[in-house]
Amino acid sequence: MSETHIQIDNVNAYYSGNHALKNISVQIPKKQITAIIGPSGCGKSTLLKCMNRLIDLTDEITYSGKILIDGENVFDKKTDIINIRKKMGLLAQKPTPLPMSIYENIAYGPRIHGLRKKPDLDNIVEKYLKLVGLWEEVKDRLNSPASNLSIGQQQRLCLARGLAVEPEIILCDEPTSALDPVSSQHIEQQLLKLKEDYTIVIVTHNIHQAMRLADYVVHLYLGELVEHGTANEVFENPKEERTRAYINGTFIPEYTIDTEVNLKGNECPYNFIYAKQALHKLGKGKILKVIVDYPTAVTEVPRGMEADGHNVLRVKQINESDWEILIRKN
Amino acid sequence: MEFRRIEEAVFKVLMIFSLLIVVGSLLAVIGIILWKGLPVLSIDMLTKTAEGGYYFGKGGGILNAIIGSLYLALGGTILAFFLSIGIAFYLQKEYSGGTRLSNLTRLCLDILWGTPSIVYGAFGFTVLMYFQMRASLIAGIIVLALLELPIMTRAMEEVIKTVPLELKEVSYSLGATRLETTLRVVSKQALPGLMTGVLIAFGRGIGDAASILFTAGYTDRIPTSLFDATASLPLAIFFQLGTPFPAVQQKAYASAVILLVIILAISITTRLLSRKYTKYIIK
Repeated sequence: MSETHIQIDNVNAYYSGNHALKNISVQIPKKQITAIIGPSGCGKSTLLKCMNRLIDLTDEITYSGKILIDGENVFDKKTDIINIRKKMGLLAQKPTPLPMSIYENIAYGPRIHGLRKKPDLDNIVEKYLKLVGLWEEVKDRLNSPASNLSIGQQQRLCLARGLAVEPEIILCDEPTSALDPVSSQHIEQQLLKLKEDYTIVIVTHNIHQAMRLADYVVHLYLGELVEHGTANEVFENPKEERTRAYINGTFIPEYTIDTEVNLKGNECPYNFIYAKQALHKLGKGKILKVIVDYPTAVTEVPRGMEADGHNVLRVKQINESDWEILIRKN
Repeated sequence: MEFRRIEEAVFKVLMIFSLLIVVGSLLAVIGIILWKGLPVLSIDMLTKTAEGGYYFGKGGGILNAIIGSLYLALGGTILAFFLSIGIAFYLQKEYSGGTRLSNLTRLCLDILWGTPSIVYGAFGFTVLMYFQMRASLIAGIIVLALLELPIMTRAMEEVIKTVPLELKEVSYSLGATRLETTLRVVSKQALPGLMTGVLIAFGRGIGDAASILFTAGYTDRIPTSLFDATASLPLAIFFQLGTPFPAVQQKAYASAVILLVIILAISITTRLLSRKYTKYIIK
C-alpha cells in the first residue's frame, strides 16, 4: 500500500445519543481513490464530514478519536480548521452553486484566501473551468447566475470551485446521485484524471461506481468498519460475509433460511421483541428472516440484534414498503 | 360521503368570505383616504411649511411634517438596521450555538414587539426628562429605532434560517470563516427577505405617532439639527383631524395620501434597486 494521507484513529461519533460511528480506524492512501461504501444510514457521510469537521454544523453531535492529515489532528480544537478545510475540496451530493455568477463561484475561494488581482483571478477561473471541461460551454456567460446552468454543469462547476483553492484532497459525498448518466460519467472521468494529483475520498452507495473508480475500499455498516483493503481484495475476495453480501447486492447469496417471521404492520419495539422471540427458538448458527415495513425497524432491528451478539447478514428492500432482514443466531 | 362534500363547500365559502373581508377593508381604507384626500391635496401642501395659524385654517403646507417624518423614519430604520442585522446574524447556530442566550434574545424581542408604542414614547420621555433634554429629532430617531428593532430582527432571523445548510457547508469547505460565509453567502441568498424585513419595519416606523409624540415633539419648522424638535406626518394627521374646522380636517386626509405614497414609493424603489442583486439567488 502506498503512503498514508489521512489517518483515522479510533473515531467515534454520536448523534444525540445515537452511536453513528463506532471505533473507526483506517488509513486513506495518498493520490488514490478511496471509496467508502455501505447502505444508507451506515455513517458514510458522517465519516466524510468528520474529515473536514463540517460535522460541527450538525446539531447535537459529539465525536472523539483522531483524524491526522499531514500530522495535524483535525479534531484538535487548537488546529486551524480553516487551513484544514482549504486542503480539502468538497463535492456534495446535490450540486450547490453559491448565489453568485459563474465567475464569482470559482473566484470565491481564491478571493477569501487573499487573491485580489483581477488578471490572476481571471486565470484561475479559466484554468479550472477548462480542467473540468466546462470552459467552452460557459466562457461567453461567465457573469450569468450559476443557478442557470444544468444540474450536470453545476456539479462540474462545484468541482472546479473546490479545485480552485488548490486542495490536496477531494471529498465527494455521493457526487453523482443527483445527476443523469451522462453527467455522472463525466464526473467519474474527471475523478479518474484527478487522482494523479489529488487524494480522493468518495462516499457512494453505488457499488458499480465504487468498482469503476476505487483503488481502496472502506465498507461501513451501521456505523461499524466491516472491512477495508485494496479494491482487488475487497471486491474479488472479501473477508467478511457482510461485505460479500453487500457487494453481491441484487443476486442473493444462498442462505438456507430456517425460520421466517412476517412482522408487517408492527411498530417498534414490538418488531424487535417478536424477532427476538423467534430467534430464541432457533439453535446456534441458524438463520432467521424477518420482514418489516416500519421504517424505524429497518435500522433499529439490525442494530438491536447486533447488540445482542447476533450476525446481521443482510438488510434489503424487497418492494416499495417491505424490507427483509437476515439474522444468524450466535 | 355527502356530508364530507358539504363540509368542503362550507369551508370554502368561509375562506373566501375571510379573504373578501381583508381585501375589502384594504380597498375601503385606500378608497376613503383617496376620495377625501385627493380633492384637497395641493402643491402648497407639499412645498410649504405650516404658517402660523395653519391649524385654524390659514395657509401653508405640511412640508415640515413630510421632511420630519422622512428624517425620523429613515434615521430610525438605518439605526435599527445596523443593530438588527448584527443580532439576526448572531442568532445563527454557528455563532450563538442555538443556546439559552439566543432563546432569551428571541423572547425579549417578541415581548418588545408586543409592547404598545405609547410605552416606548413614555419610556423615551422619562429618559429625556432625566437628562433634562427637550424633545428632538435624535430622541425620536432612537425611540423609532427601538420600536422597529424587534420587528426587523425577527423578520431577518426567520429569513436567515431558511438559507440552506448546504450553501454554508460549501463556503466553509472552501476555507471561509464564519464572517465571510455570513457576509458573502448568507446575506446574498437572504437579501430579498432581509429587505422585506427592513421595509416592514420602515412602514411601522413612519406610521407611528404615539412613540414620537413626546420624544420628537412637534414644530412648524423643518429641523436643521439633530437636536431640533421635528414635526411628523402621523402627528400632523392627528392634529389636523383634531381641529374643529372641516377644511383643516380635510387636509388630514390629504396628509394620509402623502404618507401612503411615501411608503409605496420607498417599497417599490428598494425592490427595483435590489433586482440586480437578487438574480443570483439559488432557488
